[in-house]
Amino acid sequence: MNATPEDPNARLAALQDELEAVKKREAQFRANMVQEFLDKGERNLYVHTLHEERVALRRRQQESFADLEILIRKLEAEGERSALLEAELSRVGRSLSWRMTAPLRAIGRMLAPSSQPPTMARIMDRLPVEGGVFTYYLHTSPFRIYRESSFTLSGWAWPQDGRAITAIRVNLSGRTFIGRTGIEEPEVIARYGAQANNPKPGFEITFETPPGRHALSLEAQIDGGEWLWVVKTAIWCEPKGA
Amino acid sequence: MSDDADKRWQESTTALGERSAYKKVWDLQAQDPDVASLAVAGHTDEAKLDLTARGFIDMIQPLVGVGANDVVLEIGCGIARVGKVMSRECLHWFGADISGGMLRHAAGRLRDCKNTTLVELSTVGLQEFPRDAFDLVYCTIVFMHLFEWDRYRYVEEAYRVLRPGGHCYFDNFPLDSVHGWNVFMAGTRYPLNRRPAHLSMSSTREELSVYLRKAGFEDVRVHDLPNELIAATGRKPLV
Repeated sequence: MNATPEDPNARLAALQDELEAVKKREAQFRANMVQEFLDKGERNLYVHTLHEERVALRRRQQESFADLEILIRKLEAEGERSALLEAELSRVGRSLSWRMTAPLRAIGRMLAPSSQPPTMARIMDRLPVEGGVFTYYLHTSPFRIYRESSFTLSGWAWPQDGRAITAIRVNLSGRTFIGRTGIEEPEVIARYGAQANNPKPGFEITFETPPGRHALSLEAQIDGGEWLWVVKTAIWCEPKGA
Repeated sequence: MSDDADKRWQESTTALGERSAYKKVWDLQAQDPDVASLAVAGHTDEAKLDLTARGFIDMIQPLVGVGANDVVLEIGCGIARVGKVMSRECLHWFGADISGGMLRHAAGRLRDCKNTTLVELSTVGLQEFPRDAFDLVYCTIVFMHLFEWDRYRYVEEAYRVLRPGGHCYFDNFPLDSVHGWNVFMAGTRYPLNRRPAHLSMSSTREELSVYLRKAGFEDVRVHDLPNELIAATGRKPLV
């Protein structure tokens, strides 16, 4: 039934409806205001946090790609240099004078004094290390051009046979750098399950990166005894401005 | 609930000394949906989450009123246990939490709730929000995890972001209830060096009442709730 303007109940109801509509518009305005405030400020908005994470990841990816490209070019150049040196060596080895002076070079090697007395630690450090089978991940990838004077390699690892990692080190062309083990990695444990002998599988090692090409070997000590390498690679260190 | 969720929850906790590092403490407990649910609700049953949220809304309705045209803010919304149901009762629901990890799970639970917005707080306070914006600001099952200074900070901030005439609601457990005493005694059983950062700490009626009055609220009331919590409600004065 349509209400007549004279019907006070109908007028009251109409006013009530209008009031509700106004209230709703006002509330919607405030909700929009908050949204706009959040969008404008953006700085702490959850979506913005994700956005920033994505931008940072993209930047890191691009840096990695650029480094990889440089790395590949260096490998090509090293390959060419190696081929030239091999050809030169072959030529020298075939020469008469080289063959005639061979006994003298052998005597010289025998008489040459050692520059440093060997210590047990140094001998142990230089012993060749066997490769092990590890489950691992490196947060800071070693596959890069090293621009700073030092680098911190961090990640997590455990041997697949379940034994404990008791120490960690980087062997850089014969120089060893001992790192820190026992760092918590709750997300890793959550994903892979508890590791009885490696409950805190994180590690980090800071090592110097002098200019030039080096052999890098990440090595773990197992159960306080033998050392096994986790990953090996050649690296190039080119400090900024060099 | 997966069998090891409880164990993973225990492993995700941090020491009491880190209680103020709320973001870290709660992000650690937000590793996966089960752990997050255990941390904020004590169980992982989705149906039970909805049921308790419904119960909460029915309980606060007569205290502060929740209307279909209300713009509502929840402080410390966690996985949006209450927000998912509350969003059906109001015009727009905003959920704020200091833990981005918790909000990730909340976002999943609110996938179909279009009138909701999640905001990660950068620190204690509501600096992300403008003043005079909300009809209702509430904070439930949060104060027990905060230090007193931070509890008051949120009350002050609630006053700022409420519109004149808007209502607030804050609850905690008291010592003088069976449930409250049990929670307290459970806390005493932790070894000194193993007390977790999220350890629940009680409030008194006087404490809650003082916070609201000092912040400027009027019509301040303290309620003894059926679930053995105490809650303070107040209204921001009309200009």
